[in-house]
Amino acid sequence: MTAAGHAEPTGGGAAGGGDLAVVRVLAARATRDARTRTLSFAALFALYAYVQPAGFRHAYPTLADRVSFAHSFAGNDALRLFYGYPYEVTSIAGYTAWRVGGTLAIAAAAFGVLAAVRAFRGEEESGRTELVLAGRATRGGVFASALLALASSVVALWAAQLAGFAAGGLPLAGSAYLALSVASVAVVYAAVGTLASQLAPTRRLALELGSGAVALGLLLRVIADTASGAGWLRWVTPLGWAEQARPFTGARPAVLLVPAMTAAALFGAAFVLAARRDIGTGLLAERESSPPRLRMLGSPFMYALRSQKSSLVAWAGSIGAFALVFGTVSASIGSAALSGGVRRELAKLSSASITTPTGYLAFVFLFFALALGLFACAQVNAARHEEGEQRLETLLALPLTRLRWLGSRVLLTVLAIAAIALLAGLLAWAGAAAEGVSVSLPTMLGAAANCLPTALLFLALALLAYALVPRVSVGVGYGIVAVAFLWQLVGSLVGAPRWLLDATPFAHMALIPVQSFRAGAAVAMLAIALGAAAAAALAFRRRDLIGD
Amino acid sequence: MAPGGPAPILAVMAVHEVIETDAAVGARRSQRPRAAISTRGLSKRYGRTIAVDGLDLNVSAGEVYGYLGPNGAGKTTTIRLLLGLHRPTAGTAAVFGSDCWREPAAAHRDVAYVAGEPSLWPALTGAETLELLARVRGGTDAAYRNILVERFRLDPDKKIRALSKGNRQKVQLIAALASRAPLLILDEPTAGLDPLMEIAFRDSIQEAREREQTVFLSSHILSEVEALCDRVGILREGRLIDEGTLAELRHLAAHTVEVTFTGPAPEMPAMHGVKTERTGPNALRFEVTGEIADLIAELGGQPIESLTSREPSLEEIFLHHYDSSASP
Repeated sequence: MTAAGHAEPTGGGAAGGGDLAVVRVLAARATRDARTRTLSFAALFALYAYVQPAGFRHAYPTLADRVSFAHSFAGNDALRLFYGYPYEVTSIAGYTAWRVGGTLAIAAAAFGVLAAVRAFRGEEESGRTELVLAGRATRGGVFASALLALASSVVALWAAQLAGFAAGGLPLAGSAYLALSVASVAVVYAAVGTLASQLAPTRRLALELGSGAVALGLLLRVIADTASGAGWLRWVTPLGWAEQARPFTGARPAVLLVPAMTAAALFGAAFVLAARRDIGTGLLAERESSPPRLRMLGSPFMYALRSQKSSLVAWAGSIGAFALVFGTVSASIGSAALSGGVRRELAKLSSASITTPTGYLAFVFLFFALALGLFACAQVNAARHEEGEQRLETLLALPLTRLRWLGSRVLLTVLAIAAIALLAGLLAWAGAAAEGVSVSLPTMLGAAANCLPTALLFLALALLAYALVPRVSVGVGYGIVAVAFLWQLVGSLVGAPRWLLDATPFAHMALIPVQSFRAGAAVAMLAIALGAAAAAALAFRRRDLIGD
Repeated sequence: MAPGGPAPILAVMAVHEVIETDAAVGARRSQRPRAAISTRGLSKRYGRTIAVDGLDLNVSAGEVYGYLGPNGAGKTTTIRLLLGLHRPTAGTAAVFGSDCWREPAAAHRDVAYVAGEPSLWPALTGAETLELLARVRGGTDAAYRNILVERFRLDPDKKIRALSKGNRQKVQLIAALASRAPLLILDEPTAGLDPLMEIAFRDSIQEAREREQTVFLSSHILSEVEALCDRVGILREGRLIDEGTLAELRHLAAHTVEVTFTGPAPEMPAMHGVKTERTGPNALRFEVTGEIADLIAELGGQPIESLTSREPSLEEIFLHHYDSSASP
């Protein structure tokens, strides 16, 4: 681009400047490679950050409204699950800090892991790191360039939130600090993902380790925010640190030193490992040879089950653990004295009372439907990955039709969704029953089954995206689920018209056990799912296979 | 071109059927259409790029067919169309009479494929991969598979992710060869194999030929095609620009005659179809296309010390096509 840049190839003398130039080029490349994901998350963050203050101002215009809201919500354990602990919710800023700090921090954690694993293990697995290191780049330079790319994406998330808060009318300095506390979660989990990339020899295992860390951090925060006497647990999870920073509610900036130091230590450890190990390997060496295990190779279905086994166990384990915790916690939900206005707002939020143990459990299953929808997307992506890596080409050159292959993957996903949902129902019941909540097992299994139409609808939409636009289907699938869920959370607060609110499948889920099963809605969702799946099958049969 | 096709194919098959000893195999073979691969006006366009343009391919059963072309000529696209992985923009392709796009599963019962890029399942071992591919296919010749594992010196307990490209290629080759499928479609199968394994590969293709399997070998390793193939098609920018047996191709290409004289080389008159080049004070080289009689007559009275004559190599034919077709 510049004249100096052109002169570079012959000028071997400028070693230091040359290294920096290499780092800059690599960082720019990595940033470009990741930009679709970064921009999608940034758009989501900006929108969510804007909607919270704007929605609160709209829903609770007077101080009296806000005080009565605070009285009911501050003591409501149900809402603390995913929004975190409310320190002060009578002001717009305090309310926003509560809602954003809790929810966006989870998305920030996921982003950190995804971005870091892509920048480190993903690059290495593709063989690009090897190629780059064969040139002028040093290991330190490659590591630094990936860090720079990560840093720029975290800054983008921070700026996106800041823009959202500012547009929502919050003070600038406090907004910057709130955005920083959320971004700190992304930084810590990026460090976790970086370390996982050194440990795991494959991208998939690195992602599994990183997601495990996110799930553990979330579980700890949920326990800290809901169980009495467990508040100290907030100090052992990065999601808790963001809460402890108390943006807008008595800010404690010094708390942010904890994530900063933790991230520095993790990045440092990762760098030490990265500098010493063989490129292309991880510390958790997988055995290169093993005696053949010939079970579960007999059909595409059995092979899909074999290859997805660890993933299925991880999803079932995480959702099951949350179900058990939620079930146990449900016993401590009590009904506070609520004003009529607050009841209406609560009703808007979740269409039923969530201030009783059963109402709380019903509310929780909304989240399980979300988790199952994300699981469906993950399974469709695993199938897509098979095609992208051109392994599907090898399979379809055998006497195996496309529909049989896709059908076997879909069948596995449907069975897994049903099994995980029932497991969640069973464990939620077990947790609740152990604490003396009077709710029957069939009722809870019914609540679990009620998640199925929604999850299957998302599965069918992800399939349709995969069949029609395979190159971008990963983002489209997750995007549909995420937007549908966020719309359910914020749509009613911003006073969207009924027909627009109804655009999300979550709006049509009956909250079992406090509401009765809505057969019509369930049948409609299943019918749409069937139609979408049939369209997906037709489209998939007719298109060219792709390779990444 | 189409009317000329069937007659020689029938003749070839008649010979095969006389030789055929195994009655059961013979019966099965004779039920299958004589053309292993036939395409009519097969074309594929990706956006504005025309990858394959009006291809008419006919490969008879039992034939080893070399599919030549430089990178990007459309070899892999042709194979993807033959496997029904991509949909033709125009024209049709059939394998043993089954349409490649409309009835892929039927077509694939008789096909085994080796992809140019050995993408297999990283977490499986070689043995597990062979088992998976055999089970999904619905059977394989296990005894022959063991022979091939020995021949290609594959460590079947190694995981795919720990194997080099050449070793992953072996896994694919073993799976395809052991299937004993009547048609082997091989996309640059020896890229990444060492010279010893290249010999093992050639031996295996000879065995396949003896079993009357059809082989469609896409390659740009000319010595391999020259050693193995009965017939060769040359592809350039998606079109088949030449096709025939090696003898036929040679007939059209230049024949080289090198002559050393006892004294200074004489001036030769201009002759039709003969290109003359001075290679030393006493030596001349002639590139002869067509009849050689004129040259022999001219050389008749000359004091010749030595004379060598050789047929063009496939490489010369190949380069001739690319050089001459590039200009007009």
